[in-house]
Amino acid sequence: MIKVKRQVKNIAIACLVALGLTSMATYGEAKTLRAYTIWSERYAKAIFDAFTADTGVKVQWIRFSSGELQARLEAEKANPQVDVVFGNMAEAFVDGVKKGLFEPYSPKGSEVIPAEFKDKDGYWTGVALDPICFMTNGQFLKDKGLDAPRSWEDLLSPAYDKKLQMADARTSGTAMYRILSLVQAMGEEKAFEYQVKLDSSVQTYTKSGAGGALPVARGQAAGGIFFLVDGLEMVQKGYDVVISYPKEGVVAGIEAMALVAGAKDPDLGRAFLDWASSERMQKLYGENEINLIPTNPDVPAATAELDMSSMKILPMDIVWAGENRERLVKRWVEEVVR
Amino acid sequence: MGGRGSSVKIAIWAALGIFVVYPLGRLLSSVIIGDSGPSLEPFVSALSQGGTWEALFNSMTLATAVATSGTALGFLFAFGSSRMALPGAVKKSMTAITVLPLVSPPFTTAIALTLTLGPGGTVLKLLSLPDIDIYGFTGTLLAELLTYFPLAYLTLRGVMEGSSNDLEEGAMDLGATRWQAFKTVTLPLSIPGLANSFLVLFGLSLADFASPMVMGGHRFPVLTTEAYLRITGMYDLEGGAALALILVAPALAVYFLQKHWTKRSFVTVTGRNRGPAAFIMGPVGRWSVLLPIGIVSAFILYLYGIIFAGSFVEAWGLDHSLTLENYRYAFTSGMRSIIDTLLLASVSTVIGTLAALAVAFSVVDGRSPWTEFTSLLNSVLPGTVVGIAYVSAFNSGPLVLTGTMTVMVALCVFRYGAPAVRLMMASMAQIDRSIEEAAMDLGASRARAFRDVVIPLIMPSILGGARAIFAVSMTAVSALIFLVSVRWNLLTVRILECITELMFSQAAALSVVLIVLVFAFSALLDRLARRLSH
Repeated sequence: MIKVKRQVKNIAIACLVALGLTSMATYGEAKTLRAYTIWSERYAKAIFDAFTADTGVKVQWIRFSSGELQARLEAEKANPQVDVVFGNMAEAFVDGVKKGLFEPYSPKGSEVIPAEFKDKDGYWTGVALDPICFMTNGQFLKDKGLDAPRSWEDLLSPAYDKKLQMADARTSGTAMYRILSLVQAMGEEKAFEYQVKLDSSVQTYTKSGAGGALPVARGQAAGGIFFLVDGLEMVQKGYDVVISYPKEGVVAGIEAMALVAGAKDPDLGRAFLDWASSERMQKLYGENEINLIPTNPDVPAATAELDMSSMKILPMDIVWAGENRERLVKRWVEEVVR
Repeated sequence: MGGRGSSVKIAIWAALGIFVVYPLGRLLSSVIIGDSGPSLEPFVSALSQGGTWEALFNSMTLATAVATSGTALGFLFAFGSSRMALPGAVKKSMTAITVLPLVSPPFTTAIALTLTLGPGGTVLKLLSLPDIDIYGFTGTLLAELLTYFPLAYLTLRGVMEGSSNDLEEGAMDLGATRWQAFKTVTLPLSIPGLANSFLVLFGLSLADFASPMVMGGHRFPVLTTEAYLRITGMYDLEGGAALALILVAPALAVYFLQKHWTKRSFVTVTGRNRGPAAFIMGPVGRWSVLLPIGIVSAFILYLYGIIFAGSFVEAWGLDHSLTLENYRYAFTSGMRSIIDTLLLASVSTVIGTLAALAVAFSVVDGRSPWTEFTSLLNSVLPGTVVGIAYVSAFNSGPLVLTGTMTVMVALCVFRYGAPAVRLMMASMAQIDRSIEEAAMDLGASRARAFRDVVIPLIMPSILGGARAIFAVSMTAVSALIFLVSVRWNLLTVRILECITELMFSQAAALSVVLIVLVFAFSALLDRLARRLSH
């Protein structure tokens, strides 16, 4: 018994020593870029690995959801832990600029990227677009003898009664873009009248943007409104779903990158932003089945679904969207959900 | 009181000060001071919104419902496994089944529930029931009940196994019926256990985020989800933190209520303990305990059967051909995260169990409610907020620990150690002080009396606590996500990633691996316990 106790004591001491050692251990070798991203593991790995292959610089990165990334960045403001943020939504950067989280830098080669996809003061640069789309269960359409919806009005059909899933505006950026799409397509008043009607067809509002994707794919729900990236993921996995767009048009999320204010290695951060503005980087999307639309007009669309000419993309004022976000969400909660 | 006791006390307060008071204090001051000078504006504005009160009301209702029903269910299971004449194998499998929801990653219980009871769910189809509206209070309650009642069970089992059957037999010898003996002896004697279990469940439900996130839908906002939404949806760190800090108030209220309620102490562990014996019951009593146990166990088995089966198919819900590919993925791509998680959980368990024991001892011994309350504080706040508090506290200023294992272990110990503290306190409260005093009369020092007398008596609770810390450290995600550095790769973070990337079969395989690991650890602990007691 006493022997075992001594063992326990030894284990405890060993643990404490190990803790001390890991606390002291310095991490980070000679040249390592540190980054946060919201892109999925597979997407981000393809991009960062290519950067390492091209430049020999290793990348240490962590992925979060958009809001978690921003919260961590803000909490770490006094002692930033990364050099760049890659792939967060443009509105997060607009907010971050106000909080002093980023440093302006216009990467070399970013001149070709259209002005609407980057910050006028050079704080952030858009690398990819992700439009809003409809995703419908193929079997459901066959059973009901319906075509995939091609207009916002089509979703009001009684066939969809209590069978749609889409994201909650309070939690999800996807939902915000759905509302913005409607506001741009029909004006704010009409957009809210429409959403009140649509609400009676909604089974549940999911917390995350992709939350309804599997229920639609498995037929628990008939369809919903998603970001294209989540819709195409289900198509690639082989589920029987149909992607379509409303003819009135949609807005597209801008995924962007920026240099973190107070970065430990700002030069390396700038080198990465330069690299990531090149045609070569955006061509990686097509090569790696990354379901995003390049912002660089010189990079051709990889598939028909990703071809911007097949959809109507509505212009959007990202600053206006950021400033009105809280008001729109509140209005959505008060008029649509309640 | 020897010098040793007070040095333990100083060490405890130093640790609580650094890892509980300091980060929360810094968070509080950042909320109050903010960008524009000190003001209580964030709290005032949070409390002036109708939504906040609704969320607070929902949080309280939910926590009360979960704590009550979870404690009742846990009591039933604990009674069955410690007081009824059942074959050993049945008792063992009961423990194994109940621990399943506890050791499974957050979100899995909720997701399994949606698949069975959600729209077009499998159980509904099987029983040809119409769709029920699961999103909202019902679904959240079910998910939290399943996830947390095992902790009630562990707490109560520790208490019940620690006490003997003599008193009930005595009551019946004096002419009481079985029901009277149960009502007037068994139940009151379990009050410290019941109260502790209620408090643990109440706190966990207040702080829980995964279940209301998946099951709450949009009609049932609670404070944790509202705080998370403010932080991640509106990029409003201060507003979200203010919302979350409101949770301290109900936690404090329930804590002191509970203190008041359990003022009377019940001593059931005396020196003449001969261990629990079976409580003799009639068929009605027997089945009214066994039937609910059976139904709940079957349901849990079914839920996890789905996950188990899902881990062996190509693509869940689509291509059900059998494959081992998901496990290949788990042990190649996921191997790093398996090892890192095991390391983190093991270190946290050793340190956490010792720390919990020290806290429990110093609370019971010194009757210091503030030590106890402080030790619980981290566990009643939502993980997101504790995580953010840790990042802001340990990323700059006097103590920089960002990216180290220390900060992650500290989080596990001080956030997830709380159930272990309660468990050990519940058992310690039952021990007759005269046993310790007898040892000291015979010349043992206080420390020696504690080590040689008290510890062996509460061994079941110590092991239960270790198990709980290990399980929760393995599965914790909401707070740790803010602390993971590029160096550390955690299993649940990985599982969550698989879920968001819609790789459900891989997520299922990783979950199965995680569950197996926790069971293996539990078995190891049992062996250690057996060696210790011989």
